[in-house]
Amino acid sequence: MAVDLSMPVLVVDDYKTMIRIIRNLLKQLGFTNVDDAADGTEALAKMRGRPYGLVISDWNMEPMTGYELLKEVRSDDQLKPTPFIMITAESKTENVIAAKKAGVNNYIVKPFNAATLKTKITAVLGDF
Amino acid sequence: MSASKKSIEPMLEDIASQIRGMKSDSLALPDILKLADVMVVSMRGFFDQLDASIYKELTDVSAFINNARSEIGRLQPANLKEKHFPEAGKELDAIVQSTEAATNTIMEQAELIMEADPEDMEAYHATVQAGIMEIFQACSFQDITGQRISKVVSTLVHIEEKIGALADVLGSSIEEVPIEETAEEKRARELLLNGPALEGEGIDQSEVDDLMGDASSQDDIDALFD
Repeated sequence: MAVDLSMPVLVVDDYKTMIRIIRNLLKQLGFTNVDDAADGTEALAKMRGRPYGLVISDWNMEPMTGYELLKEVRSDDQLKPTPFIMITAESKTENVIAAKKAGVNNYIVKPFNAATLKTKITAVLGDF
Repeated sequence: MSASKKSIEPMLEDIASQIRGMKSDSLALPDILKLADVMVVSMRGFFDQLDASIYKELTDVSAFINNARSEIGRLQPANLKEKHFPEAGKELDAIVQSTEAATNTIMEQAELIMEADPEDMEAYHATVQAGIMEIFQACSFQDITGQRISKVVSTLVHIEEKIGALADVLGSSIEEVPIEETAEEKRARELLLNGPALEGEGIDQSEVDDLMGDASSQDDIDALFD
């Protein structure tokens, strides 16, 4: 089944420029319904307000990190199925494993390009 | 001290046995004063030697403090606090501001180009040309930022040299005191990452992909934690 490019996508990052970059990359990839949040707390509130087809989240944020957001999402029966891609500037084996153990669907290391983003979204959602 | 101690011991013993023979209420003041006098003589040698060893210790401590004070003086703590640290902070703030401003300019122009209508070729061409010029100009931040970073690095090297000299003087006498971790620091250590890795550190996207692929089952992941 083809990916619905009009599905709501939530980008979570405390750095406005990174949100802008990811928004523009998603726009270039064809996604038309992109929302954003500045940290895990705001993202969780938004996710409880409406369903999202994909969450792309940074790890390093306060007061709630992307890792904490992921664990909250995976422990919530309603939010649990939401595809979740983690993006971080720091890549340590233990972090990747911890994220995988917490139920992340894919993991992107900054800096990244549109091709990497597309590859990871395809791996999670299927071809588009 | 041992010779004088030997000669005084019989005298002390003699006085002590006399006192032992007396009733407590018949002790005369001259007897007590005599005993005190003998004790003072006997202890003088001991205190003389003690004074010499304490004097040497105090001289060493004084020399150590003077040396440390001299090094702290060279460290110029007031200069660091009032000049070097604030200047380095200002430079770093300026770097953040200039990179943010340049990034915004570049992204605005890129967005304008992305949204330009290619149907109107003349307007499209003008938008692209103007955007490219703006992007080139914005990239000049790199030169200024490089100079600012050099100044901050110089400050850090200056501080490193001064503290290194102080540490050399204090040497092994410094006992490293364990610092108690605050709740905030514990949270940051456990949940927040330390920022971008330097080249050669951390793992790249292909290694991340391998980890995501290889550790495909919960058992595989659990095994990595054992």
